Amino acid sequence: MTQLLRKRLLVVTGKGGVGKSTVSAALALELARSGRRTLLCEVNAGGRATALLGHPPAGPALAHLEGELWSVDVRPSEAMREYVLQKIRFERVYRAVFENPLVRSFLRFIPSLPETVMLGKILWHLRQSEEDRPLWDAVVVDAPSTGHALTFLGVPEVLLRTLPPGTMAEEAEWMHRDLVDPAVTGTAVVSLPEELPILESLELGAGLRALHLALDAVVLNQATAPRFQAADLAALAGLPRLRALAASHVAEADRTRDAVERLGSLEVPVVALPRLYQGGMDRAGVEALGRALFSGLGGGA
Amino acid sequence: MTPIEAALRTRGVVVCVGPGGVGKTTLSAALALQGGGLGRRSLVCTIDPARRLASALGLSELGNVARPIPQASLGAAGVQLIAPVEAMMLDMKQSWDELIAATATPEQRDRILANRFYQSLSTALAGSQEYIALEKLWELHSTRPGDLVVLDTPPTAHALDFLDAPSRVLEFLETDAARWFLAPALRGAQVGLKLVGLGGNLVGRTLSRIVGMQTLADLSAFLLAISGLNEGFRQRASSVRALLASETTTFLLVAGPAPERREEVVRFHAALRAQGLDVAAVVVNQVHAAVAAEDVARAGELPQPVRGKIEQTIEEASALAEADAHGVSAMGQAVSPTPVLTVPRFAGEVHDLGALWRAGAYLVAGAPRPDSPPPAPGEP
Repeated sequence: MTQLLRKRLLVVTGKGGVGKSTVSAALALELARSGRRTLLCEVNAGGRATALLGHPPAGPALAHLEGELWSVDVRPSEAMREYVLQKIRFERVYRAVFENPLVRSFLRFIPSLPETVMLGKILWHLRQSEEDRPLWDAVVVDAPSTGHALTFLGVPEVLLRTLPPGTMAEEAEWMHRDLVDPAVTGTAVVSLPEELPILESLELGAGLRALHLALDAVVLNQATAPRFQAADLAALAGLPRLRALAASHVAEADRTRDAVERLGSLEVPVVALPRLYQGGMDRAGVEALGRALFSGLGGGA
Repeated sequence: MTPIEAALRTRGVVVCVGPGGVGKTTLSAALALQGGGLGRRSLVCTIDPARRLASALGLSELGNVARPIPQASLGAAGVQLIAPVEAMMLDMKQSWDELIAATATPEQRDRILANRFYQSLSTALAGSQEYIALEKLWELHSTRPGDLVVLDTPPTAHALDFLDAPSRVLEFLETDAARWFLAPALRGAQVGLKLVGLGGNLVGRTLSRIVGMQTLADLSAFLLAISGLNEGFRQRASSVRALLASETTTFLLVAGPAPERREEVVRFHAALRAQGLDVAAVVVNQVHAAVAAEDVARAGELPQPVRGKIEQTIEEASALAEADAHGVSAMGQAVSPTPVLTVPRFAGEVHDLGALWRAGAYLVAGAPRPDSPPPAPGEP
């Protein structure tokens, strides 16, 4: 089993549009199926990952999806409310202060406050317990894309560096402890066999490590396995359009091989997920990718 | 005249918007090249282009400096321009610093640049990237009368983040809300009484428990530092808004063929229209081409093993083409009467000038109807 599957907090990130939600959904589904009680956390994404699983989109309230799988969409305003109520305990005070429109607009100016409360909520779920054991065996986070992910995951460190001792600094400290503990938290970077996603994945991997987070796997989405040999192309010499079709398949397989090699420089397992030839993603697609992902990560073995 | 040709010939500003990962930057560059091909002096302002695209455009670094696309690269790619085309990469941080420098007094500027809340304004505040891109657009447009400026925009998850950017940033600067209950704190800070006033009301007391007293104090200092900037900012922001709504500007909404993001694009389109902004077209990029029936028949006559391999490849390509054609047609219905144009997925990525030129030419030539697949692309 690779490192990622041993973690309790599994953070999935990558460039926009590479399939983070699909990979998060597939990973959460397989973890739940392997018998681990799993929470799929979206970060203010409107429930995209749960919808891919064929369930109603996740909302801000915890929802049971199936078997051992639950979901929640962590949203800034609800997370803020929960956080504040934990601190001040009075609903009336919360309403008087935080539902004041002037205060609401003011709160937007405080850097990192939304990220802090959203990350805090995710890590709070991680710490939830029931009869002396953790409530969740695995929390899968469909994290924001590259730049936002680094900002998001870097919030505790930034707060620790810049804040004087106080409430927010204390919050930052316990959040930071869990995030940088390689026994607790692991990250997976999702990529595509294309120039920009590869470059961004390499930068993202370095960025996560700079934040002292464990990078455990790279998931290469939409991979193409080699199909045509030189002899096949030669056999198509008289048919230029079919030859072009074959040549473009060869080019895609080459790009996949090149991507695996370049992403390999991050020195973690690179799991290639086959490209699916369908319009858009659905439950069946997520299940197929989930099986490939899980076996690529050495799960169930 | 096709909608894109009309836009490139008559508009001063074309803003390419849409979700991330659909090729906005590439199409922005492709359009500026076509602008040059139609005889307009053109500039493409890109945001974070792929390295190979940047080098094809002759850009090696950020820095808000427009550079002509090298004649040698144009010649090598066989691209003939009638008017010169320039490219630049937007440097967000530098643009913000320049904007502050242009609106603040020197002493005020130094205090602002040094405050840690300024960092959050220029980087973390939602909409600040979009805002500065639009602000730069206004500057470029006003300094280049008669030219075509094509603006690439940051990938925006939510349409409203983009459209609200100027008002959100203005709201930040106006800070009436903050002043209202920070006023005692500001006075306290000025007379060295360390926020005594703030402790006196429920709002201040509660907030300081949540975010910490020091944070409130730093924020007060920042609000003091930026007070007085509002007017300059407001004027510029309203110029930006006026430019976007004017006849000279049109938007191009760039989308991919995948159905997952269609809703998002449709909402973006509705939001643009609701604000009275002109949308020249929705461009569906990277559409898979169908395989001609004739080629399918030919494949059936091939010997094994190549026959099986090519038939499988045809089957996969056809499934993608069919799904894309369906997606394009659904998009057409959802954004009607805005025209929907398609750009085929080129074998290989569009990085060199020749490929950029071809992609742009597809757009200028106009749309194949949604129900007819785009012509098969050539090899790169």
